[in-house]
Amino acid sequence: MAELINIRLGLEGSAFGSIAAAVIHALLLLHVVAVGALVFIWMERKIAGRIQDRLGPTRVGGKFGWLQTLADGLKLITKEDITPQNADKMLFKIAPYVSFAASYAAFLALPFADGWVANNVNSAVFFVLAVLGLEVFGVILAGYSSGSKWSLFGAIREAAQVVSYEVPLGLCVVVPVFLAGTMNLVTIGNMQAGYFTNWFVFHDIFTFGTFWIFFTCATASVNRAPFDLAEAESELVAGFHTEYSGLRWSFFFMAEYGSMFLVSGLGAILFFGGWHGPIPLMSILGLPESGVLGNYLANLAGCVNFMLKAVVGVTVMMWVRWTLPRLRIDQVITTCLKYCVPLASVCFIGAVGWQVLDLPSPSDWHLGTGPAYKVHEEWATHTNNSAASGADDRGPETTEQYQRESDQLLPPEPDDADKPLTGSSGSPRSLTATPLGQELSP
Amino acid sequence: MTSALLANISSDLFFIVFAGIACVFAVAVLLTSNIVRMAFYLVISLGATAGLFFLAGAEFVGAMQLMIYVGGTLVLLIFGVMLTAQSRFVNMRTHPRDWIMAIIVGGSLLMLLLTAAFRVPSWHEEQQVIAAASELEVADSKTATRLGLALSGVRVDKINADEQLKQGMSGYLLPFVIVSIHLLVVLIGAAYMARSKRMVRRTSEQAEDTTSS
Amino acid sequence: MSSQLDDQRIIEFDVRTDEMLVNMGPQHPSTHGVLRLVLRTDGEIISQVEPQIGYLHRCAEKIGENLTPRQWIPYTDRMDYLAGMNMNLGWALTVEKLMEHELSDKAKHLRVLIAELGRIASHLVGMGAYGLDLGTFSPFLYAFREREKILDLFEDVCGARLTYSYLTPGGATADLPPGWLERCQEFLDQFEPVIQEYHALLTTNAIFIKRTAGIGVMSAEMAIDYGCTGPVLRGSGVNHDLRFHGEEIYTEMYDGYIFDVVCEKDGSYPVDETYPPVPEDAVLGDCWHRFYVRMLEVVQSIKLVRQAMERYSSASGDWGIPIKLSQRLPAGEAYLETEAPRGQMGFYLVSDGTAIPWRVRARSSCFCNLSVTAPLCQGCLLADVPAIVGSLDVVMGEIDR
Repeated sequence: MAELINIRLGLEGSAFGSIAAAVIHALLLLHVVAVGALVFIWMERKIAGRIQDRLGPTRVGGKFGWLQTLADGLKLITKEDITPQNADKMLFKIAPYVSFAASYAAFLALPFADGWVANNVNSAVFFVLAVLGLEVFGVILAGYSSGSKWSLFGAIREAAQVVSYEVPLGLCVVVPVFLAGTMNLVTIGNMQAGYFTNWFVFHDIFTFGTFWIFFTCATASVNRAPFDLAEAESELVAGFHTEYSGLRWSFFFMAEYGSMFLVSGLGAILFFGGWHGPIPLMSILGLPESGVLGNYLANLAGCVNFMLKAVVGVTVMMWVRWTLPRLRIDQVITTCLKYCVPLASVCFIGAVGWQVLDLPSPSDWHLGTGPAYKVHEEWATHTNNSAASGADDRGPETTEQYQRESDQLLPPEPDDADKPLTGSSGSPRSLTATPLGQELSP
Repeated sequence: MTSALLANISSDLFFIVFAGIACVFAVAVLLTSNIVRMAFYLVISLGATAGLFFLAGAEFVGAMQLMIYVGGTLVLLIFGVMLTAQSRFVNMRTHPRDWIMAIIVGGSLLMLLLTAAFRVPSWHEEQQVIAAASELEVADSKTATRLGLALSGVRVDKINADEQLKQGMSGYLLPFVIVSIHLLVVLIGAAYMARSKRMVRRTSEQAEDTTSS
Repeated sequence: MSSQLDDQRIIEFDVRTDEMLVNMGPQHPSTHGVLRLVLRTDGEIISQVEPQIGYLHRCAEKIGENLTPRQWIPYTDRMDYLAGMNMNLGWALTVEKLMEHELSDKAKHLRVLIAELGRIASHLVGMGAYGLDLGTFSPFLYAFREREKILDLFEDVCGARLTYSYLTPGGATADLPPGWLERCQEFLDQFEPVIQEYHALLTTNAIFIKRTAGIGVMSAEMAIDYGCTGPVLRGSGVNHDLRFHGEEIYTEMYDGYIFDVVCEKDGSYPVDETYPPVPEDAVLGDCWHRFYVRMLEVVQSIKLVRQAMERYSSASGDWGIPIKLSQRLPAGEAYLETEAPRGQMGFYLVSDGTAIPWRVRARSSCFCNLSVTAPLCQGCLLADVPAIVGSLDVVMGEIDR
């Protein structure tokens, strides 16, 4: 997008495009998180109501009450800003924003469609996991700085839980990563193009099991029932956010719903093909080949598809929350260490074995748009190619080829000598994002 | 002209912002006396360092910094503080004598590092930077592929090295596994030593004595 | 980490952390009413629990010294407000015992009918609120959905949904309206299969079993020592139900009815195959068993209601005309305990020969049930405290009066 803005505004190779692109991406993602929270809170109340044999909100905004969250948000904004006397004021005020920042930062690497990602981080999976683990900081700070024992209890319990569940979550996430051969989320998504047989979740029985463990661990790491002790209302009043009211409290919830959407989206990309639907409708209609607009529409449909999948994941989390009782903290940790970790390890070994022994899988049928994409790694040149448009370049297939190709890389291309490694155009490179990159390639 | 200026400013701006945050909050760690605030400032400082890594294009290392330092080490620190704190907000008072000692030691280290850094010729001459850059291999540091290959033995980071020198080179996998097992042993040992001990309480008074000892 | 009190002398001690004195309540979404629990806890493990009551004390007994027995009936409603009918019944029987007032058969069957329906309604709340304590919100609403139907029936009878003041000394304030029995029949027919929902959500739910089995184990001796009654006592395996073993004036109401005392006899409960079996983790006297006893009592109450409806329709006599408002009471005293849903509720009446009693006393079942919280909660985790208190199913109105 940076190049596109530059070209349209007639500023070639300027940093303005990158900055503008960055700002636009940031705002869009902020809207995803904020509006997403609005929709999810409404959805939660409706789903909870229906499960409990009653209607949810039905007044604000028509028969289905879909503006209810907006009304609640307005109410929260107008509330008095109370800080408890015993609180550490600075940390108390900062904590919700830390939580929200961590949740939001992880969205920067989450692709919504082919190339539609704020920052195409090449080790995106790792980045998302790392940033998700930061959310616990906000919780700890909130619990500690509230100056109340109850909040402290909730904070410690939550921190222990999130930190413990990072282990099986990491193990589960590694399975699709090595199936794909890359940590780049866009590439992982593209490798599952075509019919649903290409989806990693159907690749082999172990990956199928891995998805369910992933979902359990993801539910635990965003603190949803049955792992929601931190918010255990009936036990600790409201846990670590007891002392928060008004807008600060709503930030915690935006962070929570944002994280729910994020891990569901991550699961959708890793296991369920991301923006590639069960049927490659857009390819059947021939849209991606029919010029710029067609390409854009295909990507848009993919984006909607992806968001639908993530919303389904969030809905399942809500469904589970309103059905099951809550586990005690020691039972939560036991589940993690005695059940999730061994199961994840077994699934990991099984999936590795499946790959190594080259056992058959539905993706071998290559149903859909041609063979699955090979991994393209950027080696030497800073061209416009991001991994997103890697369909055109086939990367090296084996390590020997890597070695041979790397030998051929010396000396570097002559035209690259004009571009210093760092310096004036250093920073724009780290903001590559080419949502419409395909039409820019020669 | 303006676009080039803007480009210069923008790239330097982010560097200045991140480096500034890292330094300012590192100093704040020194100056505050509340332990949890200290940990929080350290979080921000290390996060800014991760930002510097991202700015340089080393995304894998940046994510690693976030996960290990911020997500791991600091959470551990805060746990330790919160679980063993005797009073509500723990304050650390540093004796002025300790301050002087610290300034001497830290200051001399800083001087040493600065001198060593500025001695590298290619780091302080504009011409040299461009020339050096064109000699260096232009490798894409954004991927972790080179790291992964080097780990498993394909030392693509030493492509330009002397043939003779390359003879003995191997991957980092073995040292990596050794360190991991070492850490695992240390963790298990620590968990074992810190385990809760069962003891028989004969009378409640004796229990008070033993628990307070 | 076990929460069994195998040996009271063995304690575990850790890295020396401060013991916290934590206050749970009196305003608390978990405790059943305004109960204050002062917990002494080391991080997660409780070392001492002290329940503090009295927040709902309304001087009911003192007021009873200024009102005639029929005027005092509304105060009994407000004691165990979730089982108002049973409270009314206890007081009515006590006054009748003092006055040696005989009731017609029809009145007795009516009382059985109403009291057992009240038991079902009360157990529904106990069960739903227990789920709420443990974090599952939906069974609470399903239980209340069924309870609403019972409350609608009660509203048809006496005009009130919660504080009925229906069963009075001498009988009841009014007869059943026409068509009521058919509606009651419909309700029972619809209700019996719905109980399976609760089994799926609670009784056989793995997480629920994890939270309640083996928690708060109370031996039969301990239960008797602390004076526990009702499902709390029967959950520990003690076969004692006042409908069988109580006083004559009470048990003759249940003469000829076929039902079982819900209690584990020789290792098994009186269940049919529609009820799930006892899981392996559950120990006799733990929270799960107390919960299970309540679920089974609902089934027994349904049986009783059906029999009562038949016998009421075919009985002779009046429905029980209440005594005069300012009826002079014979001098003397009478004490009677009845089997309320939460335990044995006793009423004591001392009369000096006038219409106004000299002394009125209510012996609360939940009072003794609550007293067992302290030993049960010792050594357990913080999250077990609502599980234990919820399994005792206390209502503060009854404890504080």
